[in-house]
Amino acid sequence: MGIDFVLNGQAVRAEGRATTTLLDWLREERGLCGTKEGCNEGDCGACTVMVTDADGSKALNACILFLPQLAGKAVRTVEGIAGPEGTLHPVQEAMVAHHGSQCGFCTPGFVVSMATAHLNRRQDFDDQLAGNLCRCTGYAPIVRAAEAASQKPVPEWMLADGRQIASAGAEPAAADATTGQAAPYMPTSSDDLAKWYLAHPDATLIAGATDVGLWVTKQFRDLGEVVFLNRCADMRAIERDGEALRIGAAVTMTEMYDAMLPLHPSYAELIRRYGSVQVRNAATLGGSLANGSPIGDNAPALIAMGATLHLRRGDDRRELPLEAFFIEYGKQDRATGEFVEAVRIPTSAPNLRCYKLSKRFDQDISAVCGCFNVEIEGDTVAAARIAFGGMAGTPKRASAVEAALIGKPWSAETIAAALPAFAQDYSPMTDMRASSDYRLRTAQNLLSRYFADLAGQPTSVLAVQP
Amino acid sequence: MTEYLKMDAPATERRLDDMAQGLVGAPLDRPEGPLKVTGSATYADEWQIDGMVHGVMVRAPGNSGRVVLTNSDAVAEMPGVLAVIQDDRLLRNPAQGTADAAPIQGARHAAYHGQLIAVVVAETFEQARHAAQSLQVTLEDAEMVPVDPATAATEPRENQALDQGDLEAAMQQAACRVDVVYTTPSHSSSAMEPHASIASWDGEELTLRGSYQMLKYNRNELADSLGVHPDRVRIVSPYVGGGFGSKLGLAPEAVAASIAAKQLGRPVSVALQRPQVYEATMRRSETRQRVRLAADAAGRLIGLGHDARVSNLPGETFAEPVLQASHFLYAGANRKMSLELARLHRLCAGSVRAPGEAVGVTVLENAMDELAQEMGIDPVELRLRNIPDEDPESGKAFSSRRFRDALESGAEAFGWADRPGVKERREGEWLIGYGMASAARINVLKESEARVTLLPDGTARVETDMTDIGTGTYAILGQIAGEMLGLPYEKVDVRLGDTTLPPAAGSGGSWGASSSGTSVYLACEAIRRQLAERLDVSEPDLMLKDGCVTYANQTKSLTEVLGGDEIAKLGHVVPGETSKAVRQATFGAYFAEVAVHAASGETRVRRMHGSFAAGRILNAKTARSQCLGGMTFGIGIALTEEMAFDPRDGHVTNSNLAEYHIPVNADVPQLTVELLEERDDWASPLQAKGIGELGICGAAAAITNAIYNATGVRVRDYPATLDKVIAGL
Repeated sequence: MGIDFVLNGQAVRAEGRATTTLLDWLREERGLCGTKEGCNEGDCGACTVMVTDADGSKALNACILFLPQLAGKAVRTVEGIAGPEGTLHPVQEAMVAHHGSQCGFCTPGFVVSMATAHLNRRQDFDDQLAGNLCRCTGYAPIVRAAEAASQKPVPEWMLADGRQIASAGAEPAAADATTGQAAPYMPTSSDDLAKWYLAHPDATLIAGATDVGLWVTKQFRDLGEVVFLNRCADMRAIERDGEALRIGAAVTMTEMYDAMLPLHPSYAELIRRYGSVQVRNAATLGGSLANGSPIGDNAPALIAMGATLHLRRGDDRRELPLEAFFIEYGKQDRATGEFVEAVRIPTSAPNLRCYKLSKRFDQDISAVCGCFNVEIEGDTVAAARIAFGGMAGTPKRASAVEAALIGKPWSAETIAAALPAFAQDYSPMTDMRASSDYRLRTAQNLLSRYFADLAGQPTSVLAVQP
Repeated sequence: MTEYLKMDAPATERRLDDMAQGLVGAPLDRPEGPLKVTGSATYADEWQIDGMVHGVMVRAPGNSGRVVLTNSDAVAEMPGVLAVIQDDRLLRNPAQGTADAAPIQGARHAAYHGQLIAVVVAETFEQARHAAQSLQVTLEDAEMVPVDPATAATEPRENQALDQGDLEAAMQQAACRVDVVYTTPSHSSSAMEPHASIASWDGEELTLRGSYQMLKYNRNELADSLGVHPDRVRIVSPYVGGGFGSKLGLAPEAVAASIAAKQLGRPVSVALQRPQVYEATMRRSETRQRVRLAADAAGRLIGLGHDARVSNLPGETFAEPVLQASHFLYAGANRKMSLELARLHRLCAGSVRAPGEAVGVTVLENAMDELAQEMGIDPVELRLRNIPDEDPESGKAFSSRRFRDALESGAEAFGWADRPGVKERREGEWLIGYGMASAARINVLKESEARVTLLPDGTARVETDMTDIGTGTYAILGQIAGEMLGLPYEKVDVRLGDTTLPPAAGSGGSWGASSSGTSVYLACEAIRRQLAERLDVSEPDLMLKDGCVTYANQTKSLTEVLGGDEIAKLGHVVPGETSKAVRQATFGAYFAEVAVHAASGETRVRRMHGSFAAGRILNAKTARSQCLGGMTFGIGIALTEEMAFDPRDGHVTNSNLAEYHIPVNADVPQLTVELLEERDDWASPLQAKGIGELGICGAAAAITNAIYNATGVRVRDYPATLDKVIAGL
């Protein structure tokens, strides 16, 4: 298998297996060791690289990025951030001056994240750097370095990748290699994917690889036959469909954030704390639902909104309410050869509120994720959709709580009366993230918080930072 | 010629104050910064060596029994595989800091889950990883072994015990008493760079490129592990991607790489994967601590008791020195302390940043907060009333100690006077509280050597096997040499991290900067004397600045004085009587404001301040960074960090950076640090003390005390996670 892309301005062909990660290839095949391995599972950001395609430049974790995902794109590593003759990039100068680099091991990842944010003229430094861990500095010197560098213009050399991609035209596909490794299948439409998957139902579908990547780097699984979805243009589309948006399954969480921000700001805020910039840039909506995780943050929000899932097998299509997809832990309503093609999300849910509780503020799996969407007509609850993650073996609706609200006046008394119903809906487990008692109690508390929120007393966890 | 100093008397000359270059203390950038920000600093696993092959280590799937590799022949036949090695010299666990000899060795028996019992070597990393994964390991005749510190058998550490006066009687007589038990979990250093080593042999000469903190000890540990003479071993470690104790002693991958490289006659690289770092390097022991405080009606301590239980593997002598600062921080005539060590089968316990004080001062400071609350005394005032006149056990004087100033100045800087009452301040759903704690850490000087060469072109070179683990050694040694020799900062080339250079104290125990800095200072003094001889003047009459010598109303350039010669001197310091004559320690105070959410129990640290006194500050920027980093560790200890162990077999269940929660950016508010001017003549001729660990020693207590102030909830089992906080709301 050979994958053609641009590396630090030079055209390269990477030979390897379909599941060779960019990080391994850079360090072992190219001897480019500036990009570090801190965790090999997308937690720490030490391996951050900048990847540019027709949509622009973004930061990605090289440790869970497979070579075929790079076909036709441009990759810039820390070795390519300084300019010709070694001129330091403004973010590099600032990192030295503000003492943002101590032991230096996380530094290349931070530098690439910062340079990518600088190129994109981002000013939300805390968010842009949330995916990079540091054990030395306490972060403030790094954030100050990013702030200082933001005043400087983008260096000329940082614009080269965009130009090169723009002039290259159609993206090249993967090629079979001289080494005998066949190139993986990389369809360009869902029609092609559907046809192929029917014939290869045991293959592993790879979209962003933020989950599948760990099957390789942590569980050391041989994935067998794989197919890459990132070139299926129609699965990356977001279309208006009446009173809903039809979101292709391969839309990334970064694109989801942009689409949701004007419609569902509370869900957008949840996405902002979902993974990190690097993870959101790779992770796809379809992948996050198809893996069936009981603790993912997307499902409860989408269930609360009344989203529907579009599944496809060959030319057969069906749709079902998202909550019906999750049958039990590890089991989803998906037939052999069937895949998630899109998700349909209502455009209006003004009362939607999403609350994420976790031990660590960023980069942490929710102990409890509660999403509420109540419709009030006059003073009465006309409809209620409440869903939680982390409370059961699947993302699950709080049907008993909903029933206790519907038809009642929207009042503190109704809320109080509904609280015991949580125990009917959920028997959460105790694990490292939280105890069973905590989960049940905070689930109840979140309903109270929701009531206060709709009454105009919102609580932002960020608001406490003076 | 060697300039040798045994630190037997206080260094009252304070010569650095008289130098002209103005480098020492200045907030200068680290000289290797440009290498680090461009990715060009070479870390252990990044050396490109011809013919190098890759080893991946294999873990024991249980905590006892005889290790049997059932399919090693088949694995040896897998593509690319060169060797499957199970060798009696493999390390059972890493060496403790300054061990200077091999730790317990052996790969035939498992002592803890995750122990590294074999290494598989192949042409490529992927092949080695695949083969290592395919190797089947069984444990024969496995037994039930203790893994729980609460029930494991314990042995007392008599050398840590103290029984002075009558604490029980004091508790009886006290106007107010506190008798509380706190627990802290195991912590992981979680340095960003996983442990890695590349071994290459040239005949009988071994070069190990590794990631280590204390090379002179590590060299002896490696030689002893392999059964070779230390003269045959060289360790190279110019850049270390964080240590925090985890790289003090030689770790299993170094010995595995060395054995494999010898056997194969090829360079071998062995890098630990992140889960292996968590499972098979070092943990800070969990602790169970009982603190008893007896106070008279004026809030003066008449008794202080501190009893702790910690744990370690059978055969390991290290016991987390929990009581270290309790011996001297506060007054109280009646004192009782004890430490007991539980023997169990979890990974090795050893040094994690500030062993002892990081958790010991934290719990003592929680108990002091409880006493202040009980007595209705302001927590700062309670501490001020209990600063002892001299060491309360030995009666020795303290060396420099700006403890009182740190408490008062920190309180002022933070705005402590505005502290709300318990559960008094609320902003919407957020409960707001203030908390404070004292900081204390022992100060140590260690033997250290460095060579300084003044070159004919008027530049200087500093050489020592000292390491820079992110602390700023490259910067401060250049500053000291530049100051003493009158050279601009950029005219000094500092070379570190190679055992062919003079042996240094190493990075650890907060002693690196003052010890290695003193050796550089001594070498420079000798060079100054030789310059004076050449000019036929007395050395104190020399004024060196910007590459020029001024003496007796004339100025010459150094190059002219050198006349084409170079002057090379070795500086060598060893600790002496000043280490015993007085109590040396560093002090400080933390102040924190938290917001706790009434509905969810989430705690957010809104701001945090630390005031610290640690003798002369050698570089205001790197010193400040050490404090910021330490306080950030403190936030982790307070709120998130905890190694979780399976109660059945003691294996680490959160062996990754996703589940072992070091603080992320959003968890860390803007921290402020104040460094108090101080000179400690007893500590070293630099008048500097250690500052690398002070910022963590008690920091967590400021936060948990603030949680109490906000909510009235005392979480006595760290960390104060949201479920523990809400349980008390």
